[in-house]
Amino acid sequence: MLDQLQLIKVIAFKNTRSLLLFICAFICVYYGVSLVSLVVRFGAFPNYINFYDWLGNTKVIVQSTPSIQDMLMIIKDEWLMEVGYMNYDFGHGISEWSLFFVPFKVITVALIGLVLGLHFMMNRYHQMRSKKAAACSGIGASLVGLTSITFSWVVCCSTPTWVVGLAMLGLGVTTSLWLEPIGAWVSGVGFLLLTLGLLIPKQRGDTNLNFHSLDKKIEGQ
Amino acid sequence: MFRYAISFVFVSCFSICASAESIRIAIGHQSMCTDTYTAGIVVKELKLLEKYLPTSGKYENAEYDISWSDYSSGGPITNQMMANKLNFGVMGDYPLIVNGAKFQATDSLRTKYIAGTGYNVKGSGNAIVVPVESDLYSIDDLKGKDVSVPVGSAAWGMLLKAMQDAKIGSKQYGLKNQSPAVGAANIAAAKIDAHADFCPWSELMEFRGTGRKIYDGSETGVPYLHGVVARQDFLEKYPEVGVAFVKAVYEAGEWIREDPIRAVDLMEKWTGVEKEVLYIYFSKGGHLTLDPTIKTAWVDALEFNHGVLVNEKAIPPLDTNEWVTEDYVKLAYKELGEDYDKEKATIIDPAIANAKNPMEIWHSRDGLSSYASISELLTAINEFKATGAKLNATYVYDKETGLKLFGKTAFYVKTPEGFEAFLRKPDADSYAESISGTVLDFEAALKTLKS
Repeated sequence: MLDQLQLIKVIAFKNTRSLLLFICAFICVYYGVSLVSLVVRFGAFPNYINFYDWLGNTKVIVQSTPSIQDMLMIIKDEWLMEVGYMNYDFGHGISEWSLFFVPFKVITVALIGLVLGLHFMMNRYHQMRSKKAAACSGIGASLVGLTSITFSWVVCCSTPTWVVGLAMLGLGVTTSLWLEPIGAWVSGVGFLLLTLGLLIPKQRGDTNLNFHSLDKKIEGQ
Repeated sequence: MFRYAISFVFVSCFSICASAESIRIAIGHQSMCTDTYTAGIVVKELKLLEKYLPTSGKYENAEYDISWSDYSSGGPITNQMMANKLNFGVMGDYPLIVNGAKFQATDSLRTKYIAGTGYNVKGSGNAIVVPVESDLYSIDDLKGKDVSVPVGSAAWGMLLKAMQDAKIGSKQYGLKNQSPAVGAANIAAAKIDAHADFCPWSELMEFRGTGRKIYDGSETGVPYLHGVVARQDFLEKYPEVGVAFVKAVYEAGEWIREDPIRAVDLMEKWTGVEKEVLYIYFSKGGHLTLDPTIKTAWVDALEFNHGVLVNEKAIPPLDTNEWVTEDYVKLAYKELGEDYDKEKATIIDPAIANAKNPMEIWHSRDGLSSYASISELLTAINEFKATGAKLNATYVYDKETGLKLFGKTAFYVKTPEGFEAFLRKPDADSYAESISGTVLDFEAALKTLKS
């Protein structure tokens, strides 16, 4: 376990720039795919974009919410930006769908990117990793990715965003209502699997880590 | 130097004392939800809140910073209220419950339900619509079909109750989550068997000729109501502003009642919703009774609706005793010189109130004209059509419920005395059977009177 942590540390420090690039690319791909899936699902390109004063709004929340627990719960849902499709066939326009960016969720997506980036680099510099590790990371990333979906439409009168997102992509009402209360658990299990994926040692028969050779290998790139 | 310092401190103190307090009043409303208009778009556009805001006592130097934000549903309003970006929110019954329950689930924040905006005692406003050419005519026909609805909305609650009443199990039909705009588009393209929605979407589809109601929310018998919630911390700091808001709601209702045609004409400009559709809600005999009072039956209905949400999904508990308060609405009525208890005790049932209301034709040039009977209405329509005149809409009343209907979507039964109009075909069928008459659609009814 300690060896594995040491390995992660070495790889992370030696590849900081690549890792950051990977995380940024992952965030872009995640939201890009989300946007494309909405465009395909609803058959309409986005026609509006809104920006929100996240800092100002957060300041208001901090000033007006006595309980720190409530404060954090509200801040984590604060929007930074929204892009969507406004349908002008009804009234003065009604938002048919939107993809929004919440800093808390963006950080979550960045964390998925970080773990996946570390996996990628550990594979690259440290031979093949265990299939169990890959499976853990894959499933973990999918679960966290699922609960980080930030879609909205007019029907979300009382449903948390991630379930709304799944419903928008076609998930049945019964399933989405069943999933609703277990969102935090799904996310927690996802993060656990992601962490496990990193900590599971490489395949048997190659258990002796040689950090010196690894350093050289990285420097040689 | 010391003298200058003293002067500086004195002047600074004086400036602070004399400076006006800025009071931010932020309201979230819904311009695509008719039943919220008397606490939303009408108050905003007529500047009724400004009229009633306090200007004396501690408010003498107050500067009000009023902002209005328009939303497509109640959910985002609740989120914005939690973030204290909105002080007041106007929404329908189900979102109201979610609002109260979500706030009560926090450690430190609460809202209060301070006034109603309007109601339909039987639950009209929500409805199930099918494509206009569909061969489905009653809720029983929905077995094995797909029905879409905005899940979490008042229409969703109505649909669940309606299916339970009709003994249609959840596995006997496909339930899809769909937004009003997408649902309406799917109905127009006949891509879905049926769509349930809240006001005014069903009437909008009927008016545009794309959809036909097969079930009206009034059949559930559960009142459909909308109301105003406000953050408790704001109300504690500025209770007079809460009272002023309720006074504005009351006056907005009076303004609409005074001249519904003027009102719907202006509301169409403000909201983009067709005036002929708004008229079915706001006219004399319309679906909506404008009334800010909080009736015991409304609190019972909210508790019933909360139970529906609890059964279907995780929603925090809601203590209505803590949440609902009549303090602000009672004080507003008192200060306006109105009798709160009298209005609270009055409940309008369309079946009784609309029994003798005249039928109407909305001529595109000449405006509205009234007719005592359906026969007279149909005859007049034939005459107008013969001249090529354009008619915006025609209105009749459902014999069963007293609801105002578009003439073109009603079913008619010829009687020895004339005609009776029905919202639902099964009702028309059974009435026709009882008098050995025949059921006619709008065009067929018109033809019977052509000479």
